[in-house]
Amino acid sequence: MGEAALRYAGVSVGYHGTPVLREVELTLAGGQRLALVGPNGAGKSTLIKSILGLVPVLAGTATVLGGTPAGARHRTGYVPQTDSLDADFPITAAQVVMMGRYRRIGWWRPTRAVDRRAVREALDRVGLADRGGSHFGILSGGQRQRVLLARAIVAEPGLLLLDEPFNGVDAVSQDAIVRVLRELSAAGTALVLSTHDLTVARELADLVCLLNGRQWALGPPAEALTGESLRRAYGGHAIDVGDGRTVLVEP
Amino acid sequence: MIEPFTVPFMGRALAELALLALICGPVSVFVFVRRLSFVSDALTHTVFPGVVIGFLAGGIEGIVVGALVAGVVTAVVLTLLTRGGALSDDASTAVVLTAMFSIGVALVSRRSSYTSDLTSFLFGRILTVTTRQLAETAVLAVVILGFLLIGARALIFRTFDPAGAAAAGYRIAWLDLWLNIIVALVVVAAVRAVGTILVVALLIVPAAAARMLTARLTGMAVLSTGLILLAGYGGLLASWTASVDYGVSLTSASAVVLLLVLAYLLLLPIGVLRQRRVRPVPARRGSPHELVG
Repeated sequence: MGEAALRYAGVSVGYHGTPVLREVELTLAGGQRLALVGPNGAGKSTLIKSILGLVPVLAGTATVLGGTPAGARHRTGYVPQTDSLDADFPITAAQVVMMGRYRRIGWWRPTRAVDRRAVREALDRVGLADRGGSHFGILSGGQRQRVLLARAIVAEPGLLLLDEPFNGVDAVSQDAIVRVLRELSAAGTALVLSTHDLTVARELADLVCLLNGRQWALGPPAEALTGESLRRAYGGHAIDVGDGRTVLVEP
Repeated sequence: MIEPFTVPFMGRALAELALLALICGPVSVFVFVRRLSFVSDALTHTVFPGVVIGFLAGGIEGIVVGALVAGVVTAVVLTLLTRGGALSDDASTAVVLTAMFSIGVALVSRRSSYTSDLTSFLFGRILTVTTRQLAETAVLAVVILGFLLIGARALIFRTFDPAGAAAAGYRIAWLDLWLNIIVALVVVAAVRAVGTILVVALLIVPAAAARMLTARLTGMAVLSTGLILLAGYGGLLASWTASVDYGVSLTSASAVVLLLVLAYLLLLPIGVLRQRRVRPVPARRGSPHELVG
């Protein structure tokens, strides 16, 4: 398997010297799928940003694709939350996907046929082959999320990070995204995705990292997502309903 | 319709506006999508003391140098102030704007020709543009379009998705500085012809009007340039006709700006209709949810 896609050893990350997340200890191999699970404000997005080198590592050692987080950026893909984007922005779906090629194309050189083909193929892969010319803002939340996934794919990343990829996403889009993510990991891309949704984490992830201010559990879904560990991570918001099931009620 | 422009000063005025249309069209698109209207407004005000100092030190020819220095300094200061997040964009911009503008007024008020100087700095003198000024504007236009061409792709990415652009390895602060400097250079290029106040109109109105007609960035840039050209031609013609045929004094630059605003108002209903037609209500799944584990 060679180098690990991601190796965090005793890592604390945070802003202005104050840790948001402590004691992160994880290793992710190429092709593995890691779900970051935790309540709002648990530090899931912060952990993703630290993998991108956008939030500083305050303690410990973070290795991304064999290098520093910032140094690995050209091989790391990132899919932001759709909500964070301006739907009025005058841009087409294909133009958004092309952004994934920008670093490869350079600052001002024109796009080449190979770039345009990659964009078409990526849109096709997420099931939006016919929407390339559509204004990004008129697409549904799920379609926008798929466009952003296509943007990440065209950069051919070794490690793909997704921030809540299933938030506000319809069932069709969710299926399409899950299918593409499975294909990517089968081809050797390591995946890190944050999610609220324990069902998604169970079905999609090889590894689950349970977070809330620190790392509470790490392991295969069945081991990491026990009633006991969920209660510890979620505090009073995890309620045991019997039959070995736990219901999480987010404040 | 063409005859007034055979008079040399009218021809030069039209040529100057055409050059400004070439740069203000594309730049206004970035000002629009980046929501930099207020920053542009601030830049036009902060360039003002530079214009005054340049004029006091070197006469008419000193204006460009003074404006250039003030513009670049403001671009840097605004980028730094808004970057740290210590101040909100609006508050820090407003502080810089009013401080610099006051300095400009204080300086210009020391001169005996206070009123007429102030008027020409604020509203420009499009009808007295010289061949040398035209050449300077042309050089600035080449520089600005070059800067824009180099940075366009990264600037679009940064504007649409700041987090994604940073994740892709772009330096956001440098890109912000890049665009602020481009806007500052446009203000410098336009300041003598249309003045520090009216240049705001050239940077804000065209793209806002073009957005009513198209959702494509290149389309917006071309339309914006076209609108400024039309308004430039129409405004000059109107002010010529008003004063030659009817003896009414109508300032050329204000006529140009008024026509731009008129175009915006006429296109406004089209934009509203288009928005209604193409924007579905996004379906959202409820967020406070229960998960079974």
